Amino acid sequence: MCGESTALMQSIEGLVGEPRAKYIRSVERGLWGQPTVLNNVETLANVPYIIANGSEPFAAIGTDTSKGTKVFSLVGKVKRSGLVEVPMGTTLRSLVYDIGGGIADKRPFKAVQTGGPSGGCLPESLLDLSVDFESLLEHDSMVGSGGMIVMDDRSCMVEVAHYYVDFLCGESCGKCTPCREGLRHMREILANICKGHGKLSDLQDLEDLAFTLQEASLCALGKTAANPVLSTLRYFRDEYEAHINDKYCPAGICQALSVMQIEQEDCTSCGLCYKACPIGALKQTVTEDTDGPTYHIDAETCTVCGSCREACRFDAVVAKRREKTCA
Amino acid sequence: MRIIIDGVSCESAPGEFVKTVADRNNISIPSLCHHSALPGLAACRLCVVEVTPSGGKTQVVTSCVYPASDGLEVSTKSERILRLRKTILKLLISRAPKAEGRLKEYCEQYGVVDSFKPADFDESCILCGLCVKACDELGNSAIATVMRGIQKQVQTAFDEAPHECIGCASCAKVCPTGKIIWSQDDGSRTIWNKCFELVRCSCCGKPFATSEELTWLTNKSIDQNIDLSLCPTCRARKTAKAAISPVR
Ligand SMILES: Cc1cc2nc3c(=O)[nH]c(=O)nc-3n(C[C@H](O)[C@H](O)[C@H](O)COP(=O)(O)O)c2cc1C
Ligand code: SF4
Ligand code: SF4
Ligand code: FES
Repeated sequence: MCGESTALMQSIEGLVGEPRAKYIRSVERGLWGQPTVLNNVETLANVPYIIANGSEPFAAIGTDTSKGTKVFSLVGKVKRSGLVEVPMGTTLRSLVYDIGGGIADKRPFKAVQTGGPSGGCLPESLLDLSVDFESLLEHDSMVGSGGMIVMDDRSCMVEVAHYYVDFLCGESCGKCTPCREGLRHMREILANICKGHGKLSDLQDLEDLAFTLQEASLCALGKTAANPVLSTLRYFRDEYEAHINDKYCPAGICQALSVMQIEQEDCTSCGLCYKACPIGALKQTVTEDTDGPTYHIDAETCTVCGSCREACRFDAVVAKRREKTCA
Repeated sequence: MRIIIDGVSCESAPGEFVKTVADRNNISIPSLCHHSALPGLAACRLCVVEVTPSGGKTQVVTSCVYPASDGLEVSTKSERILRLRKTILKLLISRAPKAEGRLKEYCEQYGVVDSFKPADFDESCILCGLCVKACDELGNSAIATVMRGIQKQVQTAFDEAPHECIGCASCAKVCPTGKIIWSQDDGSRTIWNKCFELVRCSCCGKPFATSEELTWLTNKSIDQNIDLSLCPTCRARKTAKAAISPVR
């Protein structure tokens, strides 16, 4: 939280790390009430180039409104991950496929989250979007801290939204009502949907809370915290509806709605799943009349962590609908 | 300089808070964390309004800290604002169903009947921050918020009776929800688990302040002629008498 500029100044002053309203800018009245320049290290790192080469070469890079280059932390399910610096206006596709080398393990692309924990998740149909301040904002995401997390088809977008909202609950300073209380209710609603206890009216509540966070929060943490929810509701609404109406998690991630199974006809008895399971839910049977051992998953023990599915090279481990949802 | 609030043109000083101007013109904007003596918290967010600076873009701001500028147009009751206020009230009443005072009235006024799932803690504090600010401004800082996010609470250091507290109960008096409990009998006052003996007025004999408060006043008081052995009523009487005596 204390990376937010006014909260940072409060902390330096020895006060509780909470943001202040910014209608009066820090350059007028900042640290100890004095004019203050506070910039990100990345912003400052751009300055020497501009001093050395002039502003024109810098402004020649990028789009009409987003100038220069930006460093992204390209991670997740890409073949090559790491810190990459690209001109503003590079497309998501170029980042994920040309630079990242595409999706690891030959799986299909599902979404990319840009901008850090409070960024939005963008779907395949937006892969040709230009990565710049304005385009990302229009699509319920942001450039933010330059996070870029690539997800494959084994990510549940409801669970992803819950994960980030839960993270942000811990980050919120708790000073203002929308962020402190709104995030808590969002987290509760999302957790319920993941457990199969959601109602369609929850989606309206989520949208209402998201609107309030965006419009009425005091600082950028609360104002952006709704992005993971808004973007997944906008681009992956069918997944929310599957969880709510069909008690089904299409990605096979939500524990209460999924079970892991081994499709015997695809299984080569290699035993990788057996080694991968961290809690011994995989059972091995050796019989005379099969080539190798056969494997099955003990549903009672299995926590649906997905380690076996990740390990299998033959797509023989599949997530299925859990028939009766846990109480 | 003038600003326009809900179509009404209002006189304003540059930089004056929009809510202050609205209050002066009897245009009511609900607020829970604003106190004219303790401005600047902007925590409850209930006082949101839409503003359009002349030549600028319309945006949602909190009127309790937004500075007026010439020609500023303010809308306090747009559809967007009403939607936000309702959700904020719903969030607050879900957190603090036991809150007394204005919060309940606002909920009625804005037709907020249902709530989200109540918090699993027993609360009437809405974390407006006024109590902490009042104590800080007095220079005592006996209470502060601890933890962050939903765990945030107003507390004394280590939850113990605070050494710094002078028993003035300013925190309780600014609290909009009646969260801070204090009690007083004939000879003592208890607040934040600390018991104070009360000093009696040298004239009428009524207990009126803690000795810690009087020491604080002695240290702060600019006017050395104030007789701190008198209760406020007797002190006022004495001042009034002194004021009229030369006439006789
Ligand atoms: C909630 C929040 C947390 C932040 N955390 C960090 C951080 O941990 N590190 C950092 O370098 N910038 C962080 N920032 C961004 C800086 O506050 C911001 O870049 C800086 O104040 C303004 O400088 P700029 O205009 O050069 O970006 C954060 C911003 C927000 C809103
Ligand atoms: S938006 Fe969140 S982090 Fe920012 S001031 Fe409000 S509670 Fe604190
Ligand atoms: S105790 Fe009262 S004054 Fe203090 S933060 Fe809570 S509601 Fe506000
Ligand atoms: S009164 Fe303005 S934010 Fe609380």
